[in-house]
Amino acid sequence: MIIQIKKFGTTLVSRPSGKEAWLAFQPVLNEVIENDEIVVDFVDVIVLTPSWADEFLTPLRASFNGRVKLINTENASVKATLAILDKNRF
Amino acid sequence: MPNSLISIGGAAKQLGISIDTLRRWDTTRRLPSIRSGPLGHRFYRQEDIDIFLRDESALAKQWAITPVGVPPSNDVYCQTRDVFQARLERLQAVLAGKVPESAVSLLSAVAGEIGNNSFDHNLGNWPDITGIYFSYDMRNKKIVLADRGQGILATLKRVRPALTNASEALKVAFTETVSGRLPEARGNGLKFVRAVITGNPFTLKFQTGNASLLLREHDDDLSILYVEEYIRGCIAIIGFEGST
Repeated sequence: MIIQIKKFGTTLVSRPSGKEAWLAFQPVLNEVIENDEIVVDFVDVIVLTPSWADEFLTPLRASFNGRVKLINTENASVKATLAILDKNRF
Repeated sequence: MPNSLISIGGAAKQLGISIDTLRRWDTTRRLPSIRSGPLGHRFYRQEDIDIFLRDESALAKQWAITPVGVPPSNDVYCQTRDVFQARLERLQAVLAGKVPESAVSLLSAVAGEIGNNSFDHNLGNWPDITGIYFSYDMRNKKIVLADRGQGILATLKRVRPALTNASEALKVAFTETVSGRLPEARGNGLKFVRAVITGNPFTLKFQTGNASLLLREHDDDLSILYVEEYIRGCIAIIGFEGST
């Protein structure tokens, strides 16, 4: 399964919008086939912050431990956000 | 010529710069003119000159520091997150072309974190004015955010009762992953802000209570000073003078 983050918006900065994205996406996630890889695509995202990512990406990684792959993470704020999240995971 | 328009000579005099500089600023859209008359002379609206001249940092600080709160002017007032989000997206358009693409992204992210932090920590608990002050000054390359909220000490004291002053609270907020919104496992926001500021040609001045933090590129340690002027909430001034 591929999750296109830009479909939630291109300026993703607040906790409420991250939480809303997570809740709204539950029906789709419930259909994920066992052992299927979850590809999270950040293409065209302009601004991402840890507040948004902590509400969406953190629970996603917790739910699909080891099966979440991130792609197109070159945007500067995406890179900086992932660095902070990863620092606190390990 | 409409009476409300100022000639290029009059605008240059008000701004203390030469007419040539104003022509250059018009070309680069730093301060765009209005072309009027049969020869297409440059004119300026007084309002545009006033906005260009005003000191956004001083105005925001004045608003944050005043004992009795009043809503700020509409152009800088974000009463809700939705308004803030729309203006943050507008900031991206203003920054585009003036700073590198990566700086547009990072400055918007830092402003987004700080602004949303104010909403996160004061939701339902604003002492007087709901929402934040958000403006930017492209002339001095600064982004300004302020709130009249409870301040970082009051917020963090709920999870760290041993904290005694704003300086300690500010240090914890910028160095430890701790959230004033327990039981939520959050609190990455200001650590992210610190990492971005110190990793790029940006600066951040952040004050809450009597504690003022100044962060610059390559800073390893936090420099927090005691300041006389007390701000109950927070004020953040993000500088990007070094980003061209």
